[in-house]
Amino acid sequence: MDRSRLERRLRTSGVLVLAGLAVELATLFSSRPTAFLLFIFPGSVLLLIGIVMFLLSLLTAEENTKPE
Amino acid sequence: MVTWTSLIVAIIAISIVLVSLIVVRPSITVGKGGKILAFVSLLVFPALSGGAGISEHMERSKRTEFCLSCHTMADHGKSLHVDDPSFLAAAHYQNNRVPRDHACFTCHTDYTMFGGFKAKLRGLRHVYVQYLGKVPDQIALYSPYNNRECLHCHQGARSFEEGATHNAEPGRLEQIKVNNLSCNSAGCHETVHGIDKLGDAKFWNEVREDGPK
Repeated sequence: MDRSRLERRLRTSGVLVLAGLAVELATLFSSRPTAFLLFIFPGSVLLLIGIVMFLLSLLTAEENTKPE
Repeated sequence: MVTWTSLIVAIIAISIVLVSLIVVRPSITVGKGGKILAFVSLLVFPALSGGAGISEHMERSKRTEFCLSCHTMADHGKSLHVDDPSFLAAAHYQNNRVPRDHACFTCHTDYTMFGGFKAKLRGLRHVYVQYLGKVPDQIALYSPYNNRECLHCHQGARSFEEGATHNAEPGRLEQIKVNNLSCNSAGCHETVHGIDKLGDAKFWNEVREDGPK
């Protein structure tokens, strides 16, 4: 994988993780059931997608840099 | 003093700073140090934040104020303050037989997300009904109340094991213990929340450290 593509993927996963963290922070101070649900969805889901995307970008980067 | 919530906020804040660095300048991940930074920023800290957040929300959802935050549960909250010892929930709440800040969860341990898969689905349905559906006039348990919830505390207690009514006939105590004879049977502890009797009830003014409620 070329460097710019990898950086683009890192940036996308970073944005997803940031969005998840923002939701988590916003719901952390509320003791209402809706806050809990918002924390799970979209909060945790965004975090999870961001993390998985980061791991996938690492895997594909590794594959593409293996010697022939 | 450092509280658990402030610790979680600190973890989230650090995560936000680290992830922002990667988002603004992804080129810093070229070197070995940058790769480690990306790993910590995009995996370790977010996972830590998510886990700590879930743990905090799960603990918070066991609190009485969480359960009573839905308008639907207002009468159940009110029933805890009835000035009549025959109201089972009120007697438990007012005499600290259950922790007041975890009053609902102590007696309903298998409810919504703390129960099985079906209970979790019901919990989601409750949220749907609360905001988009029609709340039923009368709220009832999905299945008869299980004595197991009472026995968490009462089993082994002298007042329960040697209680005259519990031993009024041979085998009755055993029937109660195996849930064949409900603690809430007619003539026993039948008034639990007594929602239908709240209209005529007198209420106890809870005295708290910060003054009467």
